[in-house]
Amino acid sequence: MKNNYRHSLALALCFALLLSYNSPIFSQNLPQKTISGTITDADGPLSGVNVLVKNTARGSISDLEGRYALTATEKDTLVFTYLGYKTQERVIANNSFLNIVMQLNETSLDQVVINAGYYKISDKEKTGSIARITATEIENQPISNPLAAMQGRLAGVNIIQNTGVPGGGFTVRIRGRNSIRADGSEPLYIVDGVPYPSQSLGSSFVSTVLGAPQSPLNGINPDNIASIEVLKDADATAIYGSRGANGVVLITTKQGTSGKTTLSLNTSTGVGQLTRRMDLLNTQEYLAMRREAFANDGITEYPFNEYDINGTWDQSRYTDWQEELLGHTAYFNDYGLSLTGGNENTRYLLRASHQKQTTVFPGNFNYKKYGALATVTHNAADDRLFVSFTANYVADENDLPTTAFITPALNLAPNAPALYDENGEVNWEDGTFFNPIAQLKAKYLSNSSTLLGSSTISYQLFKGFNLKTNLGYNEIHLEESRTSPNTIYNPAYGLDSSYSSISVNTSSRKSWIVEPQIEYNTQMGDLEIAALVGTTFQNENSNGLLQYAGNFTSNALIYNLASAAEREVLASTDDVYRYNAVYGRLNFNWNKKYILNLTGRRDGSSRFGADTRFANFGAVGAAWLFGEEKFIKENVTFLSFGKIRGSYGTSGNDQIGNYGYLDTYIGSGLSYQGIPTLQPTQLYNPNFGWETNRKLELALELGLFKNSFDISGAYYRNRSSSQLVGIPLPGTTGFPTLTGNLDATVQNTGWEFEFDAKLLNNDNLNWTAKAQLTIPRNELISFPNLESSTYSNRFVIGQPLDIALLYHYSGVDPQTGLYTFQDFDGDGNITSPNDAKQATKVGVDYYGGITNSVSYKNFSLDFLLQYVKQTGYNYLYTSALAGTMANQPTAVLDHWEQPGDGGFTQMYSAGYSDAAYTAYGNLLNSDAVVSDASYLRLRNISLSYNLPIQATLGAKCRLYVLAQNLFTITDFLGMDPETQSLDQLPPLRVINAGLEINI
Amino acid sequence: MKTITIKRYATVLLWGLFIFLSSSCEDFLEVDTPNYLLSGETIFTDTKTVEAAMVGIYAQLRNNVLLTGNPQGLSVLLGTYTDELDYYSPYPLPEEPFHKNTLLATNPTVAEVWNGCYNQIYAANAILEGVADSIYFTPDEIASFKGEALFIRALIHFYLVNIYGDIPYITTTNYHINKNVEREAKEIIYAKIISDLEEARQLLPATDLSGKKVRPYQAVATALLARVQLYAENWEQASQLATLVIDETPWESDPTNVFLKESPSILWQFQPEFEGQNTFEAQNFIFEAAPPPARALTTTLMDAFEPGDLRKDLWTGAVTDGSQTFYYPYKYQHRAGEPFNAEYSVVLRLAELYLVRAEANANLGNLSAAASDINKIRERAGLSPTTATAQETLLNAVLKERRVELFTEHGHRFFDLKRTANLDGTLISSKPNWNTTDRLFPIPEKELLLNPALNPQNPGY
Repeated sequence: MKNNYRHSLALALCFALLLSYNSPIFSQNLPQKTISGTITDADGPLSGVNVLVKNTARGSISDLEGRYALTATEKDTLVFTYLGYKTQERVIANNSFLNIVMQLNETSLDQVVINAGYYKISDKEKTGSIARITATEIENQPISNPLAAMQGRLAGVNIIQNTGVPGGGFTVRIRGRNSIRADGSEPLYIVDGVPYPSQSLGSSFVSTVLGAPQSPLNGINPDNIASIEVLKDADATAIYGSRGANGVVLITTKQGTSGKTTLSLNTSTGVGQLTRRMDLLNTQEYLAMRREAFANDGITEYPFNEYDINGTWDQSRYTDWQEELLGHTAYFNDYGLSLTGGNENTRYLLRASHQKQTTVFPGNFNYKKYGALATVTHNAADDRLFVSFTANYVADENDLPTTAFITPALNLAPNAPALYDENGEVNWEDGTFFNPIAQLKAKYLSNSSTLLGSSTISYQLFKGFNLKTNLGYNEIHLEESRTSPNTIYNPAYGLDSSYSSISVNTSSRKSWIVEPQIEYNTQMGDLEIAALVGTTFQNENSNGLLQYAGNFTSNALIYNLASAAEREVLASTDDVYRYNAVYGRLNFNWNKKYILNLTGRRDGSSRFGADTRFANFGAVGAAWLFGEEKFIKENVTFLSFGKIRGSYGTSGNDQIGNYGYLDTYIGSGLSYQGIPTLQPTQLYNPNFGWETNRKLELALELGLFKNSFDISGAYYRNRSSSQLVGIPLPGTTGFPTLTGNLDATVQNTGWEFEFDAKLLNNDNLNWTAKAQLTIPRNELISFPNLESSTYSNRFVIGQPLDIALLYHYSGVDPQTGLYTFQDFDGDGNITSPNDAKQATKVGVDYYGGITNSVSYKNFSLDFLLQYVKQTGYNYLYTSALAGTMANQPTAVLDHWEQPGDGGFTQMYSAGYSDAAYTAYGNLLNSDAVVSDASYLRLRNISLSYNLPIQATLGAKCRLYVLAQNLFTITDFLGMDPETQSLDQLPPLRVINAGLEINI
Repeated sequence: MKTITIKRYATVLLWGLFIFLSSSCEDFLEVDTPNYLLSGETIFTDTKTVEAAMVGIYAQLRNNVLLTGNPQGLSVLLGTYTDELDYYSPYPLPEEPFHKNTLLATNPTVAEVWNGCYNQIYAANAILEGVADSIYFTPDEIASFKGEALFIRALIHFYLVNIYGDIPYITTTNYHINKNVEREAKEIIYAKIISDLEEARQLLPATDLSGKKVRPYQAVATALLARVQLYAENWEQASQLATLVIDETPWESDPTNVFLKESPSILWQFQPEFEGQNTFEAQNFIFEAAPPPARALTTTLMDAFEPGDLRKDLWTGAVTDGSQTFYYPYKYQHRAGEPFNAEYSVVLRLAELYLVRAEANANLGNLSAAASDINKIRERAGLSPTTATAQETLLNAVLKERRVELFTEHGHRFFDLKRTANLDGTLISSKPNWNTTDRLFPIPEKELLLNPALNPQNPGY
């Protein structure tokens, strides 16, 4: 073990030596001088313009007055770039002042420099498929998780918010689901060059309210992000080798700008509410349903515990439980402060932010987030050494109930008693009412902190030849607890605080990465060559301690584990994950017309057994900028830009737990006879290895009418084979799954279209629109011996992975009044699997978004409409039998009453009829629970106004109103078409107003 | 000249890098087994770790499925499924469909019981395979580990066959075999259970070494085997085996002490995890206010106690809300928050063996012997000797006595009604939804999908 550290240490030292080695052969000592100037556009000073010394990493950014300053030699050329403006290049020569007037550009494409991970490339010359959003789009959204910022804005990227509870997670699928395993399709996240673990440290045992472990991306503050790039095809992802199969999300944090020190203040406040509610029965309708149900079941005397109907509860009461339990207003507060400045050699940025939001639940709960970011970049005066350092720290505190109250909000009888009695105490109605509000006495608390440090050191050994090292460190700590005091239980049990308990999860993850690289750029006539070779050493240590403590002398001591009479360690883990790779890139660019890009990587991961540890990945990408060809330029004049690109290659996936190849026992946390016990952990398979993913992409990019309209279309085909899965096993093997490679191939194909239009562009009015559409298709194309495998009743060759084999619902029988289903095998019974033959797609047909930005003088308006065409599980999937003591949507009013009737719902039953219960059970396994879940959602709208005070006060001031999820149009039969869940809180509708001042 | 130097320099550097890398990669990726996991090989080199794995099974049996006093155990599930417990919860509990007899093949609790049982069988088989022919242990150690593991394996399969009907009998940890297993006829399963228990009897220590009756020893295996032989209607063997246990176990004559952990007639019990925690049974059965928060004893069970039966006073508790009285099982009276554990969860106790022998003898025609064993139980309950004398009436007397003696102890009522073909006759009146096919639980649907060799599903599902 120690040896390995020594190796990497040696490597780092080696590079340090190389950096300090300064051979006279390679230096070109020209005198450096200071260049400064002002950058303006038609309207006046232009701030934020990038000024770069060509072929170096040195540069500056213009300040609020448009001023810049840097040092360079006479032979250097300065490159001025700004999004939406033409890039300008000026040779310095004898000048010491260079004032630049930037021209609005119709061809913005080639100015956009895209982060492709280990290298940067202009949008125009990219060979791969890379989608991107920038700070402008992120800042317009009142969100706390960067994934939320990406929703609906990127072609080929489908993001679903899992819960509206703060701190909750997202499901991200880049170009579809590649893995048969439900959880193996997570993309790779890279923050400032450092891999960011997407596996949560949280324990779903503790964070019950979120329905899943808490999202680790909460550790990144959206306000600090300069851009997010998503790498999709082989050309872009192959350099990430084994971890690129599901796409790569690159997050770049903001950098300082040189020039006059600028202080920026941002504050906003807002309110949030539930986006959508269900129409439920009122008391009268509900009780009528109940009476009819008992009559149908042949029960005349209402059973003792049916309190709603047997006279125990007041039958004239009515409460809207959705309003009572989920109808509160959540408040949002946001403050940000940043300071930036520096000179041409050194720039810095300091940011601090604070966010607070409350919840829609009753009670006083909130989520708080504190963030700090510090970045420094420095380039030495001789232009050869470049150093950057970024430290990003986020702490969050989440104080929530332990349940999201959705189930009681929808299921409580509308005549259930009041939540509180006249003394303000929880009302148990003499033990007949399972009062959901009692759950407020149980709390979920979490505290986490994330520190991300990254540094890049690059040194130009000689012209075009750079040595570079990325160094990264990240450390995440999480402590979360869930209490269960005895007061949440019905007092009839007579339980005292000896039945109070707490579960505490304390975990941390430390990870470091060292990535030495060599870059070489050269030009031979018309041919530009860029080469990169590098290596990665990554080490990740994760610790977890899950403890349970119970039997307290008083509930006041519940957070003091030492005062518990019972203590158990449920899990104590200490995992090591190591990762090692060599990678390279070779790019040929001939005359800026023909581009060939080769990338490759050899990877090793400690997650695999010794024989299957290493694998090779690679890709080839090519682009032809045919718009540059003479015959096009001369003959097709409306075409201002034209490119065909394509790529093919492989990337892999090692997203499987650590140590899967070992036969192991673990401490179960239980003890017996005072002996801590051991338990077998898993069935083991020493031979599993990499999952590989072959990606093919073809794309056409066009710019029309001086790039007023940009259109691009891409076709992709990803084939994922050697599927790394937890193969489900029957219970008789003792365990539910076995980790292994499955000889199955999943294909994701799809079309992605993007359309950008600059509709209006004059002095006062500017209107741009963007639209994107993704049409994905997922198919299981081969699966040898599927029929005899444990997947035989889950998948069908030729069908998507997202299908369910279900009974086919065929309506309510007019005679019996019960749900009926197609009897596929004709045996007279509805049984699985022989009758569960209806392959029902539960997934997306197409999705996309439409963005519009309009600015008029000092006003600007942006909005994003997100649309998704899909099918999903509707409320029936988790519904109670209509007629039992649970409220129902008004849809059940259309029901069978007497022979000859049809209806949406079968005859009501209070659960005492075996036939009705069985038919209901079959309905839950039928295609009736899957229906249209398409929606059109105004995901985001923002309106802002720049106060015209800059000239007089020297400050910029912006007022804005932002809204998220303002409205949703859908026919979905359930609460929310996005979460599609009846136990998770849907995303909230949030309206925020704020003020930003730059001094 | 200059460019050549540069190129050479770059080439050397690149090669140097690759050579360095190729030498370091393999070492770097070699991670040790983490300190919180023990490899299977290591476990079976040390008595202590095998012991920890062995008691791991008892901890699981105590906390999860089948024999646990928690609501997912048979005491609650089969108690509500038959006529021992009524269901009162205003909030849906997993036992609700059991109470209403509306089990579906997709019921999660049914799957939990199935999977939990086979997981423990795996753990037992892993021990059997791990200690077999081991050079690390003495023959005595091997014998006792094997004996316990065989006993566990037989015990769990015994419950499975009585709940699910024909089942696979799992004797290996090899998943290549276990994933395609077929169901075997009840008779074959019984033969295997008997064979495992016979072997366990030979291997287990002759007396309780734990000092608290918390680990199986020979008499425990004998007692279970007596029950198995009774179920298999091998009356002779059942009677003989019961006698073996009765002869070596002292009788607790005070009904107030029967469930105290020191009671001499307890054969096998589960030790609670913590001192002062006491039993899950007490936590889940006792309530202090009416109406009952979850479950209460049925009036039919309460009516089954003869007047003057001490067990009604001592082993049930009552709560009145003014107009109505509700009863709960009060065999376990101590709850958490006490300084010591007064009670453990009893799995096997001597009273059952008297009733096993009584029933076997009644069937064999040894009527007076049968009556005398029944009276042993009645005497402790403060009741007069049985009036039954004929075979038929004696058998009924045994059944009645089992009902009031063994209520809410791991589903005796269900198994007794079932093996004496009284399920339908008894339950059709008190359980409106009762069907003949409810005598078996469904095989979990997911299991049939994953292993079609388990088909067909039990009738009625």
